Amino acid sequence: MSIEHPTQTNSIVDVLETVLDKGVVIAGDIRVGLADVELLTIKIRLIVASVDKAKEIGMDWWETDPFLSSKAAEDNQQELEKENQDLQNRIEQLERLVEGNQIK
Amino acid sequence: MSDLIYLYGIVPNHPGQNECPAFKGLDQTHEVYTLSYGTLAAVVCTLDGGEYSEEALKEKSNQMEWVQEKAFHHHEALLTIREALPVVPMKFCTIYASRSSLTEMIESHKEKLVDLLARLEDKEEWNLKIYCDTAKLKEEAEAHNLTIQAKRDEIATMSPGRQYLEKRKLDQVADEEVEKEKDAFCTDFHEELKAFCEDSTVKDTWNKQVTGKDVEMCWNSAYLLATQDVEQFLATITKMKEQSSPSGWQIEATGPWPAYHFANLS
Repeated sequence: MSIEHPTQTNSIVDVLETVLDKGVVIAGDIRVGLADVELLTIKIRLIVASVDKAKEIGMDWWETDPFLSSKAAEDNQQELEKENQDLQNRIEQLERLVEGNQIK
Repeated sequence: MSDLIYLYGIVPNHPGQNECPAFKGLDQTHEVYTLSYGTLAAVVCTLDGGEYSEEALKEKSNQMEWVQEKAFHHHEALLTIREALPVVPMKFCTIYASRSSLTEMIESHKEKLVDLLARLEDKEEWNLKIYCDTAKLKEEAEAHNLTIQAKRDEIATMSPGRQYLEKRKLDQVADEEVEKEKDAFCTDFHEELKAFCEDSTVKDTWNKQVTGKDVEMCWNSAYLLATQDVEQFLATITKMKEQSSPSGWQIEATGPWPAYHFANLS
């Protein structure tokens, strides 16, 4: 059987119920009025579900947008560098051709 | 506004013990550090007083993305600490206004905290959730349950009008039998697992809206056990999982967790 690690997203319920509900309560000085665990879990699960759903229907454009994703920015950078190199090679070839023509 | 102190948990403080791991705190800016209190240490991080005031937190705690991110941070922080040292985990968002009020809390609970840490040493918390496919269980019960079978045989001898009424009643009986069976399955298994454990607690079950599953949660519990017994504990679960899945049961064990359920101060 697989033993699920508690940090996996499929155990949101486990994490929230323990972190928000259990743990030692010797309340700190700052009062934090968190809503009831059940309600919070439902709300958060909906967010996670909607992100998963968005990916499923291909609405994951932000992952390839260099402004929103550093990985996309990196990929983009590599592509630009390659394009730059290709163009430079072509210019060199052209310059050589031009030089050859002038000598004649 | 003066800085605040976010408390993750309490760890032991003995010479030569593992170091508390270093990581970024709740605000992803300040580093996590420890404050010594004799044989105890508090794992804390600094928070900006303005950004995390009661007012500001009231606002933040209404933003689900914030709650999700920070609750997971709190949990992952405790998992990280737990890998190095036994820890008494605090509830999410335990924040002190000053060093002196944190000190006061720790001093007033010191004896209890020392006992707890000794108890949690070399122990692991594991959680168990059992789900079941109620429709499948009902089918099984209708096919094999002796009470239901006897009732059905009885109905077959009745007049057609009476049969209709009795069949509806039988359906109710089937529902009750399924409930009984669920209860028996879960409590029996819980008893079996308790034999490996130092402590255990039965928790509320959650409805499908909360779990997001299409099967019903019928059991939710937590166990505290010695690290050396974990293997056997999990083997027992694996065996039960294999045995029971054809009849519609799903058994999920997760862990090891920080001992959220077994670090009670009261």
